[in-house]
Amino acid sequence: MDTSNSRELWEHMLTQVELSISPANFNTWFRDSFIVKIEDGVIFIGVPSQFFKDWFLKKFHPLLLKIAREISYEIRNIEYLVVKDERRKLAREQKPSRGALELPLNEFYINKGDNLNPRYTFDTFVIGSFNSLAYAASQATITRPGITYNPLFVYGDTGRGKTHLIQAIGNQFKKQYPGRKAFYLTSEKFAVDYTDAMQAGTGNRFKDKYRQYDLLIMDDVQFLSKKERTQEELFHLFNALYDTNKQIIFSSDRPPVAIADIAERLKGRLASGMTVDIGEPDTESRMAIIQKKASLNGVILSQEVIEYVATTISSSIRELEGLVNSIVCSAQVKGSAPDIAEVRQLLRSFTRPQKTISVKNVVDKVAEYYGINESSIYEKTRRREVVRPRQVIMYILREDFRVSYPTIGSKLGDRDHTTVIHSCEKIKREIDVDTELAKEIRNIRALLA
Amino acid sequence: MNISIEKKIFSEAVHIVARFAERKSATLPALSAVLIVAGDDGIKMRATNLETGIDFKLPGQCVSEGVVALPAATLQQLASSFTGEGKVSIEHVGDTALLVSGSARSTLKTVPYEDFPTIPLPDHQNKTFVVSGAVLRTLFSQLASCASISTVRPELASIFLSLEGGVLTAVATDSFRLAEKKVPLSNKGAQGAILVPAKNAAEIAQALPDEEIIVRFDEHQCAFESASAVLVTRLTNASYPDYRQIIPSESVAEATVLRKDFETALKRTTVFSDSFQKVRLSFSSEKKQLAFYAYNADIGESLETITARIDGGDLEISFNHRYLSAALPLTTAENLVLSAAGIGRPLVIRGAGDASLLYLVSPMNQ
Repeated sequence: MDTSNSRELWEHMLTQVELSISPANFNTWFRDSFIVKIEDGVIFIGVPSQFFKDWFLKKFHPLLLKIAREISYEIRNIEYLVVKDERRKLAREQKPSRGALELPLNEFYINKGDNLNPRYTFDTFVIGSFNSLAYAASQATITRPGITYNPLFVYGDTGRGKTHLIQAIGNQFKKQYPGRKAFYLTSEKFAVDYTDAMQAGTGNRFKDKYRQYDLLIMDDVQFLSKKERTQEELFHLFNALYDTNKQIIFSSDRPPVAIADIAERLKGRLASGMTVDIGEPDTESRMAIIQKKASLNGVILSQEVIEYVATTISSSIRELEGLVNSIVCSAQVKGSAPDIAEVRQLLRSFTRPQKTISVKNVVDKVAEYYGINESSIYEKTRRREVVRPRQVIMYILREDFRVSYPTIGSKLGDRDHTTVIHSCEKIKREIDVDTELAKEIRNIRALLA
Repeated sequence: MNISIEKKIFSEAVHIVARFAERKSATLPALSAVLIVAGDDGIKMRATNLETGIDFKLPGQCVSEGVVALPAATLQQLASSFTGEGKVSIEHVGDTALLVSGSARSTLKTVPYEDFPTIPLPDHQNKTFVVSGAVLRTLFSQLASCASISTVRPELASIFLSLEGGVLTAVATDSFRLAEKKVPLSNKGAQGAILVPAKNAAEIAQALPDEEIIVRFDEHQCAFESASAVLVTRLTNASYPDYRQIIPSESVAEATVLRKDFETALKRTTVFSDSFQKVRLSFSSEKKQLAFYAYNADIGESLETITARIDGGDLEISFNHRYLSAALPLTTAENLVLSAAGIGRPLVIRGAGDASLLYLVSPMNQ
């Protein structure tokens, strides 16, 4: 009898079992079980739930072991595993079409063991001049993990694809080194986990948990600032992993030196390996991203549309993806790829109001709102009823229309740019506590819209 | 074995426990039976169908110890016939059990109890949290209906429970709509996530008492312990999609409506919906209206408007009406907020002032 063929072995065992127990018992307990694997003389039998596992151990273990031993002396023991539901999954049944679109849940399965989202791979990663260095560094890291660049520190503004890159490294690592363990988490999760472990008094378990990984990926480390105890723990974890040549990858929205309130020794270690930044994607890269994203969803967009979208949103890839998603969605609903006019219509709701507006217009509207004479805004007066509106104007020009500080100053009666900075900061601070002011600004924004 | 129990207590216990016995007759007879155990720690009733199980403690007088398994269906019929005060006694003799209540004496054939499986109780090292039974019951019974009926994707046929920062989040989806409810917990320490098969959750909901319940769970099994009973269920062993990513963060049109208006308008319009159960919602910001429209070639058509506060622009979007009305029992809020993120994107329904609910409905093709 060939013990390497687990299916044959199991069928052979079952015929023997069937003779020893009642049909009802056999049908109840053995119908959904099978051999998962045979390793070092141990047969692993997969059962549907804990009920089965307990009962197999209690009732059938001696019988099964006896039968297995009769087949081969190599078999030392039998163990029982509660198997994942996926393993017993039926063939996919045809969904009745009910006209409703399905929620795109399939895209968002996350592997619980390592937290990696399988959607993020290098196949879907678009390489351009803005991220080629980061890409090259990550490839080098995968080729010789723990040796070439350790730690790898990736930074860049939000929505530039940091998370995609570092998760892709994790997914690639898993593929390339099947036996090793990768783990992805955000620094915030790490901090929460740490505090929970401290509260529950399971600090040692916490330490062991993180030291077992061959690749640890920590996203958004800048959130560790001011969390001193967590930083210390990360410091020790870092040393433990680093000393055993385990690869560590960090990401942040700023370089290590610029992260505020973080211990010097940790800062030094974050920067001790390779530090790469992901810059702003250029137009060509943005076009490539749009094309890739759309074609992944089975929609071919015209060159014109791609160019339009690429020039509309400039910095964040995340926003870009959101946009492409909505185009794809409307394409799916309508059944054809949208043309430039439709896209323009679609994007109107998406893009921020990037209107160019004259300073005078803002001054007029605000002065009108507060019921004061607009010329007084430009004068060098410090009357209270004028000062507040003037500050509000500065704040709105800065926040909503991105006018530079010096320009605001010169347009509003030749004031110094530091005055403008002070005013903006002041309003920004007060807006949080003063609900009346917040309401006023909301109303003014509505007037300007 | 010889025990004596108050009729009322006995009936209630049988009513709760028998539900957990296997209803299909093709399987092991012991699974369609209720096991009655009289021992040192009182009288207990047990039943299991290998998916879920119950161990129920009931007060009574134990004259002599022993174990007996009786067919659940027969017990149920007997128990529901008991009326009035008095006691019922069960005596196990040979392969029969003698049930005496008042002047009635019935002899029941027993089922071999050796085949009755052990109910896997989780040990004390597992993760736990405490929640009121009443809360958990509403959570389970409301959400179970939102989970998928098909078992092709076992994770979607389950309720996802996640514990984080002292909040219990329960989610169920059948991939056409999704319901998320949040409940604050008294103990903040516990963390973790489990998938309770929706069918099992619905069964457990019916047996949960109002009092505080300790929920223990490990990788495969979850137990709900109260003073009188321990309920266990197997857990779905699969990963759950990261559903948060499909919740639209922005909204193109948002309507705030009176729940009462919404309910009646929807109910009326539904009559005219077609075989796809399609109802079209139109957000009109100018007229401050939300309109319901349905058309069925055989019946006719219906258009109904209700007054609403509309934020954002105009939008027309169609839904399966069953998924819309299913949101109503999930919240008690007087006002509903419907936010649409655009054509072909899911609609979010919330109760105004009720942060605990988030309900997502996928639209239909236009």
